[in-house]
Amino acid sequence: MKSFFNIFISALVPKKLRFEFQLALRHLLSGGWQTILTISAVAAGVIIVIFITSLIFGLQEMMSDLLTESIPHVVVQVEDPKPKTLTNTENPTSSRIEEQASQLKFIDNWEQVVRTIRGLPNVRGVSPVVSGQGFASKGANPVGVSVVGAEPELLDVITPITKDLTSGKYRGLGSDEIVIDAELAKDLNTQVGERIRLTSSSGQSDSFTIAGIYSRGQGRGSAYVTLRNGQSLFGFGTSVNVIYVKVYNIYDVENLSNTIMALTPYEAKPWTIDFSRFLVNMQMMGASAYLISIFSLIASAFAIASVLVVSVLQKSSQIGILKSMGARQRQILTVFIFEGLGVAIMGSSLGAVIGMMIVHFIGLLERPDSTGTGASNAMFPVRILPLYIGLAILAAIITTVIAAVLPARQAAKLNPVDVMR
Amino acid sequence: MKNSETITVDELAVEQNSNGGSPLVVETRGLKKTYFGKIDVPVLHGLDIKIYAHEFVAIIGQSGSGKSTLLNILGALDVPTGGTVLINGTDISTLDEDELATLRSDDVGFIFQSHYLLNEFTCLENALMPVTIRHGEADEEQTDRVLRLLERVGLSDQINKHPDEMSGGQNQRCAIVRSLANSPKIILADEPTGNLDSRSGEEVFSMMREMNRESGVAFVMITHDDRLAQAADRILLIEDGNIFEISKEAHRERVAK
Ligand SMILES: Nc1ncnc2c1ncn2[C@@H]1O[C@H](COP(=O)(O)OP(=O)(O)O)[C@@H](O)[C@H]1O
Ligand SMILES: [Mg+2]
Repeated sequence: MKSFFNIFISALVPKKLRFEFQLALRHLLSGGWQTILTISAVAAGVIIVIFITSLIFGLQEMMSDLLTESIPHVVVQVEDPKPKTLTNTENPTSSRIEEQASQLKFIDNWEQVVRTIRGLPNVRGVSPVVSGQGFASKGANPVGVSVVGAEPELLDVITPITKDLTSGKYRGLGSDEIVIDAELAKDLNTQVGERIRLTSSSGQSDSFTIAGIYSRGQGRGSAYVTLRNGQSLFGFGTSVNVIYVKVYNIYDVENLSNTIMALTPYEAKPWTIDFSRFLVNMQMMGASAYLISIFSLIASAFAIASVLVVSVLQKSSQIGILKSMGARQRQILTVFIFEGLGVAIMGSSLGAVIGMMIVHFIGLLERPDSTGTGASNAMFPVRILPLYIGLAILAAIITTVIAAVLPARQAAKLNPVDVMR
Repeated sequence: MKNSETITVDELAVEQNSNGGSPLVVETRGLKKTYFGKIDVPVLHGLDIKIYAHEFVAIIGQSGSGKSTLLNILGALDVPTGGTVLINGTDISTLDEDELATLRSDDVGFIFQSHYLLNEFTCLENALMPVTIRHGEADEEQTDRVLRLLERVGLSDQINKHPDEMSGGQNQRCAIVRSLANSPKIILADEPTGNLDSRSGEEVFSMMREMNRESGVAFVMITHDDRLAQAADRILLIEDGNIFEISKEAHRERVAK
């Protein structure tokens, strides 16, 4: 054991620092419970920070995912007609647009608009959509339903449907097929493979084979048909009335809306307008996550410091005897820097490993009432965040070294006799 | 206070210097020390001392008379509140922290009442510690020298033991070797036999005396043991903040009283 360390030291430690390194190593090796205690204190601090950050930030991430993954991030449509005012009549340009808008609620040149939006930064997906209200029926009893006509492959990126299917398919939807939600299926007492009739608010009607049934567990959802079927059902010809946009960074969506509105004559509404309260809550949650992490870091810093300070103060008389043998202040500080680093590196790597293991296993726990599909069945939506683990380790190392060096510096400054008594 | 049998140190020093011609190792001029606190404690009132190479000097005096205070100042472990201390002719008040460290390492060795060996290290590693501190690691020659010294004090079979596995006398002998490790000019010993029974005490003393004769390193030893004081070259008495050299005759008479 000792010879192993000696080989290690002569290979890695420059000769000038070997005394300091040896002494620090011996302190740690002969420290027994004290060494174990300090290492545990560091490990505990790192574990707590890893645990709290992954829990809170995981929860935050999950909530924003849950909300924003099922909604379009920007909705492009024709501006709602507003009541005319006197200023509009004085402005010929504005009145012309207003007129046009009230006549045509749909986007004629949507292919060009879609192409323009696809070229913008932060855009993950674009889907032209026909959206309207209608009635679904099987035999008697028509039931009101929102109808969405879109290309399944495009819409699936924006308001995922395939992921929530309980039976059947959505992608590759045929020209006489429809996907409905489980609630509607129950009301109509129907299932995949059966046919239902859909009548739009504008009076057109057609019958469809149910290709899939989905459930999001949050009230009644839309019925999905192909874009072409939507267009004919609502009499849109080749037009659409809405374009859905999905982005990568959901918090940087206002820029995109503004750009779209600058490049096209349409209104582009970012998700943050309808969910401003949610956004504020998210920001508050983020802030409290930071605060809690900082406080737990400070708390464990105090724990580390108190254990370490005591063990260094116990070595005061040794510091005195070392100085009487000719040790310099710098050498003594180096001993305790090594010692602090040793404790910090061992403690924080132990803490990081245990912390990640705890987080991992907690992440595997499932809600007892989970349905068995999707990622949202975890009881604790934890995330392992390398950045915060790194920060926790760094903070632990800094605290530990400071807590070791400050009392040692104090003792090393004194006359040897004053610490030897 | 002075009686007919005490001669001032200065007078004797001049005498010795002219006789022996040994170089001066440590000298103090008007050395004063007061401990400042709630009550100020004046301990040393202005001492003039000269210690020469090759000497073995015993310092005696009542408990609390300032013997340790003096010794610590002589070895630059503590600072005086007045006067000057010259070690090898250098006024130590002119030295910075690093130069003081070098001086403590190269010129002075200490032996205390407690051995102050580090329990984390073996006897050999402890004895080599001043070398390790100075050079990072002991080379073969330095290690051989210290091994020979350990053999001389009868610790050859103990070199791999830790202090808590050795007796008090063995630890103190190891501490003697440690004080010699960097071949200092002077060794300051504060009651080195104070914690030992009389037999190990005598053993330790005779080893110090041998080292003194063999290597010529000067020793200043505080002791309460009158027989050990008698075996020194000179006896210095600290009393009421002053220092006096007393002859062995006078010392014997004091003891008899
Ligand atoms: N750090 C200190 N602060 C205050 N008084 C001290 C201190 N060290 C020693 N003294 C006092 O100085 C006097 C001399 O102490 P010391 O040199 O240890 O005596 P000795 O070694 O002769 O027994 C004593 O009265 C002691 O109480
Ligand atoms: Mg004393």
